[in-house]
Amino acid sequence: MLSSSSFAAYIPPGFKPKFEGNLATGAVSVSEIAGVCHDLYFTRGLELKTITATDERNRGGGFRIFYVFGVPKQNLFIIPYIVLADTAEFPSLTKDIHEASSYERRIMTFFGLSPAGHPHPRPLILHENWPADVFPLRQDFNWQERPAAARGNYEFYRVEGEGIYEIPVGPVHAGIIEPGHFRFSVAGEEIMLLEAKLGYKHKGIEKLFENLPLASTLRLAERISGDTSFTHALAFCQAIEQLTELPVPRRAAYLRVIFSELERLANHANDIGFIMLDTGYSFGGSQGARLREVIMRWNERLTGSRFLRGVNVFGGVAKDITPEAGNELEAALQAWQRDFDQVIAIAEDSHSLLNRLEDTGKLDYQLAVDHGIVGVAGRAVGLKKDARLDYPYAAYAELPLEIAVEKDGDVRSRFYVRVKEARSSVALILAALKNLPRGECSVGEQRVKLARNRCAVGLAEGWRGEIVYFVMTGDTGDLARVDVRDPSFVNWAVLGHAGRGNVVPDFPLINKSFNLSYSGNDL
Amino acid sequence: MSLFGLWFLQLLLVPALSPLFIGIVRRVKARLQNRVGARVTQPYRDILKLFRKDEVVSADASWIFSSAPYLIFAVSILLGASIPLLSAHLTATVLGDLLTVVYVIALSTFFLALAGMDTGNAFGGFGSSREMTVAALTEGGLIFSLLALAFTAHSSNLFVIAGAISSLSLLAFTPIILAFVAFVIALLAETGRFPFDNPATHLELTMIHEAMILEYSGKKLALMEWAAANKFMLFLALGANLFFPWGLAASASPPALILALGALVFKLLVFCVLVALLESSLAKFRFFRLPDLLFMSFILSLIALSLIV
Repeated sequence: MLSSSSFAAYIPPGFKPKFEGNLATGAVSVSEIAGVCHDLYFTRGLELKTITATDERNRGGGFRIFYVFGVPKQNLFIIPYIVLADTAEFPSLTKDIHEASSYERRIMTFFGLSPAGHPHPRPLILHENWPADVFPLRQDFNWQERPAAARGNYEFYRVEGEGIYEIPVGPVHAGIIEPGHFRFSVAGEEIMLLEAKLGYKHKGIEKLFENLPLASTLRLAERISGDTSFTHALAFCQAIEQLTELPVPRRAAYLRVIFSELERLANHANDIGFIMLDTGYSFGGSQGARLREVIMRWNERLTGSRFLRGVNVFGGVAKDITPEAGNELEAALQAWQRDFDQVIAIAEDSHSLLNRLEDTGKLDYQLAVDHGIVGVAGRAVGLKKDARLDYPYAAYAELPLEIAVEKDGDVRSRFYVRVKEARSSVALILAALKNLPRGECSVGEQRVKLARNRCAVGLAEGWRGEIVYFVMTGDTGDLARVDVRDPSFVNWAVLGHAGRGNVVPDFPLINKSFNLSYSGNDL
Repeated sequence: MSLFGLWFLQLLLVPALSPLFIGIVRRVKARLQNRVGARVTQPYRDILKLFRKDEVVSADASWIFSSAPYLIFAVSILLGASIPLLSAHLTATVLGDLLTVVYVIALSTFFLALAGMDTGNAFGGFGSSREMTVAALTEGGLIFSLLALAFTAHSSNLFVIAGAISSLSLLAFTPIILAFVAFVIALLAETGRFPFDNPATHLELTMIHEAMILEYSGKKLALMEWAAANKFMLFLALGANLFFPWGLAASASPPALILALGALVFKLLVFCVLVALLESSLAKFRFFRLPDLLFMSFILSLIALSLIV
């Protein structure tokens, strides 16, 4: 158990939190919250993980807004919250902490609370056909009834001037990709402004978490973003395990590393291939697809699921790796790495390919910092952040891992971050296989009972970036609120900035180098 | 065989064979990517399938949209009959002049671009804008590379050129090779191949040719696809028979023509493999780097020309 002394350096004066596990949670008055958050974010250098709200009016409270800050390397979370008893307005932090903007807009859209002082409070995710006075995450919203269709207005930013024209793209695309609408304002071929309109895949995930039986919620978490099934489930499991204090066996911790890295490997190989394919370098494209397929087949062989679904369970993993399979996997991965290195070497020989990657879709460092960019996109501008090291979970603390960083922030940097991470993933899996402890791989069948009226944060580094689950339980130990923050939610905000100034035909390449999830963002 | 018979044969030859060469390029590319790939006859099936399908025409489309496919297809087969495919005879055709051929091609490009913009679709608009940018810059290289041949042959008639180049001594061949390189660059640009355009892409924002025909469906799409295949074969044949005019039939007798057909198909196969190799080893160039390449084509033609004149 952590003592309050380990938190001491991170508690601002005037903030009197309650310590539970690795969380320090406490109420702050509405007038003081901006100051407390400023202190945590700027003075103490903590990372903002999510801002989320709960509706507790039917339990005699009001709305609560939680500001979740993480302490890197310590695995501690400082969570001040405010209570809105008889007001639907909360102070906006956006002007001070820029990355708060999207969270506040999301709270506004889903809880009907307005961020006072937000410079541009537009709804997020829900479209103009959603009635303006229906808020799906409020407790009085009946999720089984379809609200009447509204006819609102969605305003895009407009660029005016001679020769400027707009290109609307999507939500239906020529290729098989997720739906999203992009509005380009261009002068000739140069992108002056790019705005994404998302939300086409909104399916009420967070509301479902509150209504499904606990046993089914894990399957729901696996389906938030299909290509990140395992790590999403892992982050959720870790939050739940904090609330049950289930001891995860050490073997399970190692197996979780192996599966999580297999997922990363498959997706990075796929992305590396697709980045090359989108420049028209078809050799690289087909090799990427082939390298991914090798891993997907291993996933299927080890777990019965190509996407590693049904592997995570509360308190461990459901699938073990036999010593024979482990040996074969080891040999297969070594061969895979040689194969991979060859493909990369051939790609590096192609000047026409490298020329397309360099300086394309450059993301500014300060912009990335201000938006709190996570994952591959963040490491590609030199932000040395990786939840596997900053908030060590599973067995990562016991295994060798170096954060892969690049500094230019262009497509080439994001490409190389993935290349480096693919190599370190192989090394991680090999090390984990070698040191795999004996024993059980899960705590076994038992009724999971959650602690009442508690909060928990689950964090895991998916292949796109850091996945955050904020879980709160109610009076009966039910899931009262599950807030999911997919890395895509944060990173979508900067795609337009990375696209600006490039030519339109380069946009698909830029988009692919970020490869953000629509489903994970839209929830 | 009479001259008219030969002309008629050429008229049928291009549309009959052109889908095959598209199929071959795709097949070779697939092999180079470790894939099996579709059969080389797949483009024929695609065209047949499209002919059987219903059409959807935008309510905003004008007569340009509905007539462009016929015009573009007609131009493509007419040109097929106007260039030396099998023999250097046929000098008397009206269209056999290199300037006529180049500008009739430009005419079909013009209508293609108009058709792209006709429905007001944003993709068609930028496809057309890109196509015109590329077409305008390609013209110089294309005309001057052919002019280099014309000056060598002292005639602008393509059939005469083919006859004259075939009797050229090897020593006089240096400028022809330079002009050929210039022509190949123009060929890739005109037929929408790498590094200018990606005929296999699904990314609507990167398209040039595909963006212009995005609104077409059914029979009109079939005609557009077929015309594009014809144009590809046309350019390959120009390259094969003007720059390397060996194997052309000396007389119009059936055995000589069959032999000439064999030679043509062989030369085009070699070209197809080269195009496939290029497309497999190269990434597409950034749009604003394309003019550099096209200027290079123009300058190479000028050098070739200055060596000849």
